[in-house]
Amino acid sequence: MKAKVAFFDFSSCEGCQLQIANLEEEILDLIDIVEVVSFREVMKEHSDDYDIAIIEGSIMRPMDVERIKKIRKNAKILIALGACATIGGINKIRNQWSPENVKKEVYGNENLKGNKFFDVFKTKAVDEVVDVDYYIHGCPINREEFKKVITSVALGKKPEIPNYPVCVECKKNENICLFELGKFCLGPITRAGCNSICPSNGSACEGCRGILKKPETECIMDILKRYDLTYEEMKSRCKMYNYNQEECK
Amino acid sequence: MDNKNEVKTLSYSNFDEFIKNLIREKKYDLIGVKEKGKRFVFDIIESPEELRLDYDVTILPPKKYFLPQIEVLMDYKLKDKSKAKENMDIKSQIIIGVHPYDIIAIQQSDKIYLDEQKDDFYKKRRENNIIIGSEIQNVSDRSFAGSMNTHLTDSGYDLFITDLGSKYAITIGSKKGKELLVKHSKFKDAKSSDIKKIEKIRSKIKSKFKKEVKIPKEEWTKYLVANYDNSLWEERANKCMECSSCTMVCPTCYCYDVQDEVSLNMKQGKRYRTWDGCLIRDFTKIGSGEVFRQDIKDRYRHRFYRKGNYLPERYDFVACVGCGRCGIACLPDIADPCDLINELSRFDKDEKTDKFFIKQDTEVKEKGIIHIPRSATIKKIEKLTDREKLFKIELDDKKSLGHKPGQFVELSILGIGESPISISSAPTDAPTFELVIRKVGNVTGKMFELKKGDKIGIRGPFGNGFNVKAMENKDIIFVCAGLGVAPLRSLINYVSDKKNRNKFKKIKVLYGCKQPCEAMFLDELEGLKSCEDFTCKLTVDKCPEDEEWDNEIGLITTLFPKLDFDKNRAEDTISVICGPPIVYKFVIKNLKEMKIPDKNIFVSLERRMKCGVGKCGHCQINGVYVCKEGPVFRYSDVKDLPEAFE
Repeated sequence: MKAKVAFFDFSSCEGCQLQIANLEEEILDLIDIVEVVSFREVMKEHSDDYDIAIIEGSIMRPMDVERIKKIRKNAKILIALGACATIGGINKIRNQWSPENVKKEVYGNENLKGNKFFDVFKTKAVDEVVDVDYYIHGCPINREEFKKVITSVALGKKPEIPNYPVCVECKKNENICLFELGKFCLGPITRAGCNSICPSNGSACEGCRGILKKPETECIMDILKRYDLTYEEMKSRCKMYNYNQEECK
Repeated sequence: MDNKNEVKTLSYSNFDEFIKNLIREKKYDLIGVKEKGKRFVFDIIESPEELRLDYDVTILPPKKYFLPQIEVLMDYKLKDKSKAKENMDIKSQIIIGVHPYDIIAIQQSDKIYLDEQKDDFYKKRRENNIIIGSEIQNVSDRSFAGSMNTHLTDSGYDLFITDLGSKYAITIGSKKGKELLVKHSKFKDAKSSDIKKIEKIRSKIKSKFKKEVKIPKEEWTKYLVANYDNSLWEERANKCMECSSCTMVCPTCYCYDVQDEVSLNMKQGKRYRTWDGCLIRDFTKIGSGEVFRQDIKDRYRHRFYRKGNYLPERYDFVACVGCGRCGIACLPDIADPCDLINELSRFDKDEKTDKFFIKQDTEVKEKGIIHIPRSATIKKIEKLTDREKLFKIELDDKKSLGHKPGQFVELSILGIGESPISISSAPTDAPTFELVIRKVGNVTGKMFELKKGDKIGIRGPFGNGFNVKAMENKDIIFVCAGLGVAPLRSLINYVSDKKNRNKFKKIKVLYGCKQPCEAMFLDELEGLKSCEDFTCKLTVDKCPEDEEWDNEIGLITTLFPKLDFDKNRAEDTISVICGPPIVYKFVIKNLKEMKIPDKNIFVSLERRMKCGVGKCGHCQINGVYVCKEGPVFRYSDVKDLPEAFE
């Protein structure tokens, strides 16, 4: 019996699901091993009978909490898909301000009281609300990793997600260290698994897969000093995906 | 070699022609040093102009051609598991421009990978390769090869290039090299003035190095051994990013991890290995989740001991060639062995350098292919407890496994991976053998879903079993804690087997576990009580109200006073212990009080045994490989290893 899979989106750009839709003909392989019962981007059918729920997006509102709890109850396995779901990601940038201030900034004096769609609290990653079994990190996700995770789950195996920084992959790819080129890269503190795609193409890592070490640890301070970079700059770089983030275990 | 020191010369234009001919040669890929931004890399050479023999150091060493970052070991179909194929599609390469320190590093890897258990992939890659070395013209700021005497080499290459300023001198290092030169170039014999010029050039290289290590490399081991507990490890490790960049770029680091991956349609799969590094947090993590060397200080120190003490003790070379790549790669700049050793030079040294190492004659086991599991079938499954099952297994070639009590196998499930499992049956049960499996990780979890008749893979047996000879004519006390009963069952059944029983004196088995529902093999142990001079004492830590238990209650150590032990027999008593890490300390304390000598105590230790043949690096306890020298050790051999009972 094939496992039934349903995709759900919360606050996100749905780009990570698009990565899956972009598997193109390989989608046929996917539906060969699992039965997709709900996937808004590629089909109109929907069913609440599923084994695996794949969640994209952050949790922002009481109505999201209600919905995600229901999904958790229905699903045997829940997978967080993409940075918004796994760590809160970009959506957490607004946690620097109170929800009231954010609303005011965006919608001005519009009266939104009682409108549940705008009833937001501070952004949460999915695992801050319900238990998450597996994570597919990244912004956007790495399709290869998605395949690895979904085949692992189908085989009944816990997917192996790297617990080491991007530097490992960057070194294997024989890149020139971006610090050497005067760039500020978050690779040394960010979880690998992306095959160092940004540094390999000359862009500094932004930390979208979550941080393994807090920026205030001694070793990082040291590096900043060595390369004439400031802690403030580091902190602000971390805000993009990892505002107020605890280091991952 | 006859051809050694034979030197030819090539004019610059003939050299270019030589390179062009090598590029055209279909049999080989030509790899050489070329620019990458401000740095250099080994890569495919498409024209002579690309080749930069004036480079200082490459980002990665040429090891990537012998131990690639990712190397597929085998391909398989998930449906037909018996048809796993070794992936040996390896193209021949000529690697040109290799500096002496990198040549020496390759010679070191040869010793490790081409030892009595040859790595077939490495072997094939090395056989298919031609190494053309070149003189160091420019020196990297971080290199200290001069003071390591690795700036020159007179072996390890097929050809070696020296730029004489007006032409190239080519020193011939092998028959293969000479043939290549004869076939592809218009060379001349070197004149004696050319030879003198080479010597002059070589004599000047050493002075170009800015960095110098103050302690000769032969002495590193003495300083390391004396300073194991020095506070500098912690001070420096506090700055470590745990990124293992130092090991990734190192020409002498060779540890690897093995993983399985299947295609999205789940029809095909592959098993591949990829570089791993001992600075990474999960490097030693075992199925049950335990991590050894958890503290970054221990991992940071481990790397230096491996380079300067553990490998020198094992192979007689310092596993650092002074290339300086780690110094460049390490952002907080704490990885450079030159800096570290120079700092250590302020402290004392110790002449006894084999402190963290056991010299042991390990048997030469399975030769040839070491990565491909043998197909086997599950013959019987018995549920032991809620967490453990007993699997009776037979190899499909019907051969007996040929194991000794205490050895282990790598249990392999295609698509999932491999896991080390100790063999639980006595060799006398051949041709079948038994494994007790606790459901903790991926492989063991999957094993629980399998049924009688299903196929699995087996590699091994591996490791050093119990020294049964040493136990003859002695009393034996078995101490089994928890799952530790599984590996010891092999030995218990062996010594109590009718054929062997008269070789051993009194046998006493102490077995403890948390609660009655976790106890295994109670009927079997009960049955053994009919053996002559066989006693068995059982205990549980606690007995919940809804469970039944007619034996002792209390920790396993509470059984010792009830042993009726004659201290006069202490010298003639062997004790064998296996259990979770926490148990050893307390049990050994009791045995010591009973005056049983350390050399009479045998322990079976658990670590992350991934390859089983002392190569992948995961199972190390200081300088000792658990998969090779263990998992069974004499307590007297390991008691002073700081990492053994951490």
